[in-house]
Amino acid sequence: MELKSIKDAFDRVATKQKLSYNKTNEIVHMLSQEIDKALSIIKESPSDTVLDHRSIISDVKKAFVGIAPVTQLEAAEKELHVALTKYPKVLEKQLNPDISKAYRNNAEFDTHIVNQIIANFFYRQGMFDIGDCFVAETGESECSTRQSFVEMYQILEAMKRRDLEPALNWAVLNSDKLKQARSDLEMKLHSLHFLEIAQGKNSKEAINYARKHIATFADSCLPEIQKLMCSLLWNRKLDKSPYSEFLSPALWNNAVKELTRQYCNLLGESSESPLNITVAAGTQTLPVLLKYMNVMANKKLDWQTMEQLPVDAQLSEEFQFHSVFVCPVSKEQSSDENPPMMMSCGHVLCKQTINKMSKNGSKSSFKCPYCPTDVDISRCRQLHF
Amino acid sequence: MEIDTVTNGNSDAVMTETAPTITPSPVVPSSRSSQLTESLKLEHQLLRVPFEHYKKTIRANHRSFEKEVSTVVSSVGDLADSDWSKDATVSRLTSLVSRLQGLKRKLEEGSNVENLQAQRCRARIDHLDSVDVENITEWNNTKLKRILVDYMLRMSYFETATKLSESSNILDLVDIDIFREAKKVIDALKNREVASALTWCADNKTRLKKSKSKFEFQLRLQEFIEMVRVDTAESYKQAISYARKHLAPWGATHMNELQHVLATLAFKSTTECSKYKVLFELRQWDVLVNQFKQEFCKLYGMTMEPLLNIYLQAGLSALKTPYGFEEGCTKEDPLSQENFRKLALPLPFSKQHHSKLVCYISKELMDTENPPQVLPNGYVYSTKALKEMAEKNGGRITCPRTGFACDYTELVKAYIS
Repeated sequence: MELKSIKDAFDRVATKQKLSYNKTNEIVHMLSQEIDKALSIIKESPSDTVLDHRSIISDVKKAFVGIAPVTQLEAAEKELHVALTKYPKVLEKQLNPDISKAYRNNAEFDTHIVNQIIANFFYRQGMFDIGDCFVAETGESECSTRQSFVEMYQILEAMKRRDLEPALNWAVLNSDKLKQARSDLEMKLHSLHFLEIAQGKNSKEAINYARKHIATFADSCLPEIQKLMCSLLWNRKLDKSPYSEFLSPALWNNAVKELTRQYCNLLGESSESPLNITVAAGTQTLPVLLKYMNVMANKKLDWQTMEQLPVDAQLSEEFQFHSVFVCPVSKEQSSDENPPMMMSCGHVLCKQTINKMSKNGSKSSFKCPYCPTDVDISRCRQLHF
Repeated sequence: MEIDTVTNGNSDAVMTETAPTITPSPVVPSSRSSQLTESLKLEHQLLRVPFEHYKKTIRANHRSFEKEVSTVVSSVGDLADSDWSKDATVSRLTSLVSRLQGLKRKLEEGSNVENLQAQRCRARIDHLDSVDVENITEWNNTKLKRILVDYMLRMSYFETATKLSESSNILDLVDIDIFREAKKVIDALKNREVASALTWCADNKTRLKKSKSKFEFQLRLQEFIEMVRVDTAESYKQAISYARKHLAPWGATHMNELQHVLATLAFKSTTECSKYKVLFELRQWDVLVNQFKQEFCKLYGMTMEPLLNIYLQAGLSALKTPYGFEEGCTKEDPLSQENFRKLALPLPFSKQHHSKLVCYISKELMDTENPPQVLPNGYVYSTKALKEMAEKNGGRITCPRTGFACDYTELVKAYIS
């Protein structure tokens, strides 16, 4: 795509518009000048001879014919018209003129669901004013997650002010669930608190805090605890110590990120807004789909009823939430009935493919399609990703 | 603790470096920047709508100037041909002068409006130009807001649309004023008044004619039906003369519909004949509203559907996997949310040509840099995550899903092509 050609085409429009404006202005000016001139002549002429002022008027008329204002205006418009018709053509050529070609008309969305998703999005992003306005204007029922997100933003706001208390309260209250999710959020928050104490006040209080709150994490975070305690040796000169990393604002950012993620997960929500993710995935998918539609334009294509997309959208990594195994031989996605199997050489195929290669088990071994190994069927084993 | 990442625990694993016999074509990941270019191509509406608006203003202004100028010219002509006294002539000329002055003012005002609209067109081109790999996250957030505003405007949620645009500073990138124009017509139609819709048709006559729109005809038909509905001798007379004046011209191209609707004269609004009963239903006004919306979108070069729906459909399809509908699906997947599942239900599943494995522990992609390792129980995790676990636990590995425990040395590398 060439943004420059779009810009150029638009510049042409703007230039012609200016020219046309100037022309019109000029014509209007000339016309009024002629009339003004005639007026002053008539007014100054002493006698009231009818003929006199009539001849002056017919001079004006002649002058007008000479100027030919309407023809001039039309000519100016014609030039402008050319530029005006060209610009949309440039747009259509450089951009996708109709992205709804990839839209399925038979999958109409339920407006209520879409509205609920949008309301939830605003609350999720901390835009409570706009969320409330939206809920009121659409007449949707109050969003059930609103209060939870209000609390989340209170905790995050406090963290911005370096006040860890609300965050710690929440983490302690949900300690079991956090452990289940294998999150080290609690430890992260306690470490931050510990460092704050060590920086501001005496080491003794910090040690007491560590004994009381941090020691319990020895099972999972021993190396971190060692580092934290060691950092006390440098006390107020942390910046010149091997532990200067403890001063990095990144620690706080990570804690904020982890808290958001865990808070949302416990609510049953994703840490990134799901609306954001889906629209971003759509942005990557649409060009692929549209290209496909263009190529297949002449083929009879049942886009409206397809059960699987005809092309791989090749989304980037951040959209890969599940392990998808595609058998390199059969090109089929694995499933419970057709699970991935690893052969003794370490290469992985689908069960059905292995069955085929071993003639349904009638052969006790076959050659791996990827390396020279003779594969013993009894030693193939199912994998769980 | 020693961790040998290379040794395959299996004694007969003969992983030589010989090239595999079948090499599936490698996935060429489209680079970020080409992805960016592709996504910019989706922004046709963003540039087209303000331009159509601009063009409309230019055309309307030009037409009115041309008209004024030719009126002045012909007035002078008339003056020259008639027999006025000197005073009358002077007063005529003076009024022409002030008329030209008025035209000058209008020209100035018109040009100001045109310039503002041109600026808006430029702002949007610049907005597309401003995106690069660094600010893409922020740019995408703005894009989502633009898409949401587009949705709200089409649904007539003006208050929130305005509030969101103002607070996000994107007024130049959304089309609130254009939709306000549509709202007037829609509101009138909802009140069962066609006047403003007809005015709109007259304003956009040439464009509508070009696209062979029959919207005006449909409005006229509805007006006719409303006269029949009144059911008095006077109203029938009125209906017939209305039909002669406004419906007959459409006969050449839309005879069937014309006949169909005119036959309502024979049926009263209380008719049970289903074909005619439907014409008298008030629902017809909603049909007109929808028709108007479509004509309106077409005229401005907008998509018929809200952008949000188009993006959501594509995104949901690309994200839709059988796993998303399973119990215990990761909450990070939008398809784990009930509302998103409902929307995705009628949509196609995604398609993947190549394996992509995500580590259960770290959620990171398992590829050649972070290859998958198999525990003796068949469960697979990424090398990075297992190494970290082993380092913390003196070389021991515990499978997080089954509780199975083993030594790091017992792991086997899996080769996924």
